[in-house]
Amino acid sequence: MISLGLWTLLQKEVRRFLRVPGQTLLSPVITTALYFIVFGYSLGGRLREVEGVPYARFIVPGLVTLGVVTNAYLNTASSMFVMKLQGTITDLLVSPLSYGEILAGFVVAAVLRGLLVGGVMWGVAGVFSGFDVAHPLLALALVVLAAVAFSALGLMTAIWASSFEQVNFFPTFFITPLTFLGGVFYSIEMLPAPFRAFTHVNPVFYMVDGVRFGMLGISDAPPAAGAALLVVLASGAIAAAYAMLRSGYKLRG
Amino acid sequence: MDTVVAIRGVTKRYGPLVAVDGIDLGIRRGEIFGLLGPNGAGKTTLISMIAGLLRPTSGEISVLGHDVVREYRETRRAIGLVPQEINFDPFFNVEETLRMQAGYFGVRLAEERLVEILGALDLLSKRTTNSRALSGGMKRRLLIGKALVHDPAVLFLDEPTAGVDVELRRSLWSYVRRLRERGTTIVLTTHYLEEAEELADRIGVIDRGRLLVVEDKDALLSRHGAKVLRLSLARPIASLPAPLVAVGARLDAGGSVVTFEASTGDAFGPLLAAVADAGLAVGDVETRRTTLEDVFVRLVSRDRGEATA
Repeated sequence: MISLGLWTLLQKEVRRFLRVPGQTLLSPVITTALYFIVFGYSLGGRLREVEGVPYARFIVPGLVTLGVVTNAYLNTASSMFVMKLQGTITDLLVSPLSYGEILAGFVVAAVLRGLLVGGVMWGVAGVFSGFDVAHPLLALALVVLAAVAFSALGLMTAIWASSFEQVNFFPTFFITPLTFLGGVFYSIEMLPAPFRAFTHVNPVFYMVDGVRFGMLGISDAPPAAGAALLVVLASGAIAAAYAMLRSGYKLRG
Repeated sequence: MDTVVAIRGVTKRYGPLVAVDGIDLGIRRGEIFGLLGPNGAGKTTLISMIAGLLRPTSGEISVLGHDVVREYRETRRAIGLVPQEINFDPFFNVEETLRMQAGYFGVRLAEERLVEILGALDLLSKRTTNSRALSGGMKRRLLIGKALVHDPAVLFLDEPTAGVDVELRRSLWSYVRRLRERGTTIVLTTHYLEEAEELADRIGVIDRGRLLVVEDKDALLSRHGAKVLRLSLARPIASLPAPLVAVGARLDAGGSVVTFEASTGDAFGPLLAAVADAGLAVGDVETRRTTLEDVFVRLVSRDRGEATA
């Protein structure tokens, strides 16, 4: 059974992002809708189909994944960093909440924000390209695993960071480039060989490819690879974040 | 009297800096303990280790018999901490802030308890005000409210009245006394000596991480304290009559003031009798008792003098 302490933290984290919906929910939806319109329609007009799927439909899983992981990351990262900055982290540190409860409170709220943004994006995209999902449970499971992994990464980055610049380091230098080079907008079959080789070592590619299999039933790599990578990434990130909280690193002097 | 907080050989190092240096201390149930020291003495570091905000480099701390590191859930339920730095979450109002803090401690804040805390801290009219819109004094009172929501056995007040106006300071003092009357043990860190003198039952003086003295406030004042009697003479005299010299008086201000210093337990009677016998005309009388501040300055400067010698 969920403890009152964890329930309180979870509620607080969810209310925090719901109180600024323009920034936390609407803004990512607008950004993604713009990607969808610009890439989906401009390129879609020329490409028509990728791997037998209309281009506008082909890019939806990648865009949803990008929205989910970015928002899951930003939720834990900004919440934890602002708590450090404002000193309200003290409220949690003096409480009897266990490390697992603190981790769960932050991660579950961030996953919910990620899913909310991803769900709305999928809904918006669906209006243009249809709502069919090949393997709904698999798609949902993979998206949740991706959100768990990135929310734990966001938490760790915020605990480590001493400035906003450092909080933004990870999305700017890792998430965005790896996502753009990870097959959100194209099939790797469309790339020249050297880039294709790079894509094969990009974890985001397997993540996007796995979600694409779940949503559209097509993939460049074996779908199990994406699923396996996400399980490893999510469990590794959770274990690392738990160890970090338990060690007291940067939080308990 | 039983000990609610037991600190044994606690040290906190930051690289070469020793912030707290092998402190042993017991806080007794139901007392107000004043932890005094200059800025950077180690007061906040010590209470942060008790409350779980910092981990000791070595030594052990227990609260109600539970170790603060191994059994942190038990010890934190027993502790309320009012931190020195004001913090607030601009996303939430006063009531939400208090309810959330209670929730973290596994407590559902009953309406009567919420109203009681808000009333005691004069925040009832601010119940639905966003914490960002509160004045500095109100934010500080909200911090006290947050520390009380789970009805802790021990309340730590880290410089609770820093930057607070005189009226509010007095009202906080009276609230602290009421809490003590209800059985809450209170540990107060302050560098306002007046505050410790007003509130504390026992005093600990800390400087450069070391505890210089721990004693009942009254015993400390009487042991280290003194009282001074100054008699301004209506007509100056050239020299002090022998009986006054014999009891230890001295002549100051060009023969117009007789000054007499005594330990707090000594009586002024023999001096006054000698003044009357000598036929001196007294224009004004002034007495002064050593304050905790005098004792504090003496203890800290003695410690520093010894350390530099």
